[in-house]
Amino acid sequence: MEMIPAVQVTNLYFNYPDGKEALQGVSFSVAQGECIGLVGSNGSGKSTLLLHLNGILPDSFDGDSQIAINGRFISDETVNTIRREVGLLFQDPDDQLFCPTVFEDVAFGPRQFGLPEEQVRFSVERSLAQTGLAGFNDRLPYHLSSGEKRRACLAGILACEPLVLALDEPTSNLDPRGKRNLHQILKSLPVTKIIATHDLEMVVELCTRTIILDKGKIVADGPTIELLGNEELMLEHGLEKPHILRHHHPH
Amino acid sequence: MRMHIPDGFLDAKTAIASGVFSAAGLGTALRHTRRHLHSREIPLIGLTAAFIFVAQMLNFPVAGGTSGHLIGATLAVVLLGPSVAVIVMSSVLIIQALIFADVGLFELGANIFNMALVAPLCSFIVYRIIRKIFQDNRGQLFAASVASWCATIIAAVVCAGELVWSGTAQWNVVFPAMVGIHAFIGIGEALITMLVLAAIGNTRPELLEDKSRSNSGKEQKAVLLYGILIILGLLIFVVPFASKLPDGLERVAKTFGFENKAIENQSFSAPLKNYRFYGFELSETSSILAGIIGAGSVFVFLFVLSRVIVPKSKNGMNSKTPPL
Amino acid sequence: MDHSMRHDFLDRFSRLDSPIHRLPSALKLSFAFALILLVILVPIHVWWVSGILIVLLLIFFVSSKIPWRFVAARLLFLEPFVLGVAVMALFQHDGLTIFLRIVIKSSLCLLTMILLSNTTPFTEILSFIRRIGIPALLVTILALTYRYLFVLIDEAARFRRARNSRTFSSHRTKVWMSLASIIGQLFIRSTERSERIYSAMISRGWK
Repeated sequence: MEMIPAVQVTNLYFNYPDGKEALQGVSFSVAQGECIGLVGSNGSGKSTLLLHLNGILPDSFDGDSQIAINGRFISDETVNTIRREVGLLFQDPDDQLFCPTVFEDVAFGPRQFGLPEEQVRFSVERSLAQTGLAGFNDRLPYHLSSGEKRRACLAGILACEPLVLALDEPTSNLDPRGKRNLHQILKSLPVTKIIATHDLEMVVELCTRTIILDKGKIVADGPTIELLGNEELMLEHGLEKPHILRHHHPH
Repeated sequence: MRMHIPDGFLDAKTAIASGVFSAAGLGTALRHTRRHLHSREIPLIGLTAAFIFVAQMLNFPVAGGTSGHLIGATLAVVLLGPSVAVIVMSSVLIIQALIFADVGLFELGANIFNMALVAPLCSFIVYRIIRKIFQDNRGQLFAASVASWCATIIAAVVCAGELVWSGTAQWNVVFPAMVGIHAFIGIGEALITMLVLAAIGNTRPELLEDKSRSNSGKEQKAVLLYGILIILGLLIFVVPFASKLPDGLERVAKTFGFENKAIENQSFSAPLKNYRFYGFELSETSSILAGIIGAGSVFVFLFVLSRVIVPKSKNGMNSKTPPL
Repeated sequence: MDHSMRHDFLDRFSRLDSPIHRLPSALKLSFAFALILLVILVPIHVWWVSGILIVLLLIFFVSSKIPWRFVAARLLFLEPFVLGVAVMALFQHDGLTIFLRIVIKSSLCLLTMILLSNTTPFTEILSFIRRIGIPALLVTILALTYRYLFVLIDEAARFRRARNSRTFSSHRTKVWMSLASIIGQLFIRSTERSERIYSAMISRGWK
């Protein structure tokens, strides 16, 4: 039985109006339930790529879309459903936690997608529990720590019950405990995951497959340990072999 | 001295009248925004309101221990256009009233009218007029600074009118006081507005492009309405005291029970009103003359400053101002 | 920056537990507004009304468990503004009476608002005004303003610290230019941030 890939990107090109951070013919597909690490130096196009996955970029969809989520191409008609199916976690939690309280924020997605208020409440409680933030309903985002903010953003996405999670630097600005916390939470989620990150330890721990991006092109796509353990490959594309693999011997 | 009126200074009719005008003005601004602005502007409006709030908090040292503060109405108009400026300034005042209590809740209508309707709109009009004459970058700085000076004074005059209409103070005391003080405060506002716009133009000149021009057709209707509301406000709050009340209007006022001890106290019989200005009396003509000379000096000062602050450059892009 | 204002931003007391805090917000808001109306509309020489209002306010204040030092500090901070405007009332026939009347009324209203805003979380104030018919667009904007107020204050403080570590002149002109530059920077960052917030909003279904 053939499974529709969760995400299918075909030959994606993109240029910002000022020429910044382009994507030059990116193609890959992600199977249901897979967890992929997306690594590359700054400016390689990671964030730009993620922004395409739930239709934030490009500004308008005309002609052939190069991205299909669960077999459905992104277009003006489908983009709303796709935004529910692909949960995007932004780099700066202060940009994503835009409501006055945690509850309001986590409830935002479900409410926008038209769920009845009781269902909204249930989703919020469940997502907060999933991310270890039970009881944080009335807290102000301003008072949360970086880790708590990150998890609140994650809760906000999980409340929409997405099929794919696209995460942009989920562990940046977190202390070691915060990082471990987040690793655990992500590990426990069965959904398809694409994680753009500099945190190579996390990639090794969570992602079976890794894609290396350099100047908008995919330069490598394969098993994590093989790619990240290849010192030459890493250095060539502005990365470093992670410590965790320094003494690793492939079995 | 600020223009924020705390609770208890205005009486019911003033609060209600200004409240009605503000509601109409704000409602128009919201409707215009809903209809003609893309939804991506909405976070910008919210953030700009927060920005103005924070900018108002900063202390600009003046003399001794005193400091001045930015009001920001003109800044909002130049950066985002009149309707958005109305919403931004209203939001700042509403938050101040509901959370910080430094704006009266009951008098919110009057405060919004003065600072979120009169100030931005007067800025806008003065700004556009001057812009038609001076079209370059430095002209923008000059236009914005003059606009903020004028708007500060006009808003102060309306505020004075509201206080008098409520019977809280007398016209021949409060008018010169408000005008005199805000003629000084207005200079600070003009300077800060100019400096901020210059700073923005240094790094991101595209943010200074005239937003009002692109939206002109659709926004004109809204601007017209704001203008009408302001004229009504001026008619009610200012004109009766600044000049002799025409008999007809006075009769109308009496019919509606708006007769006011304050109005009756003004002496309209004298051909020339005398203003008590810091202890000595000035006749009306000399006050007007002094006003014109004062205003003229301010304009010249601001003009010169606008030329100096941004050195001329051939390709139209602002070169760096002296290191800050 | 005025540091006595900073503490208020923490919305520190609006979620305490007290009989007043537990009252439904709609009740508190309506009551506060009614109180203010009464204070303003009832002539002050109707002493018994004023007396009752003052006693009521004191009861609420005490049962709200808000530290009296905080309320006093807030009142003291705001009072000069009241006095400043009220001074103009002095220069007229009957000026002193009018002046006193205004100061007392204004202070009572201030106290009411201080109590209200510190026993009611802002989000509940927002949902109340939405329910009474204030347009949704305005409520959204107010919510965003409130949310990012704290963020922008921190940003401004950071810019200021960065500048202070590089500037040695306390000369007025330099300070003005420095502050103007900070304000300019703040605006630019705000426009950039609002773009990202928009992306975050539409990515969760906002239109």
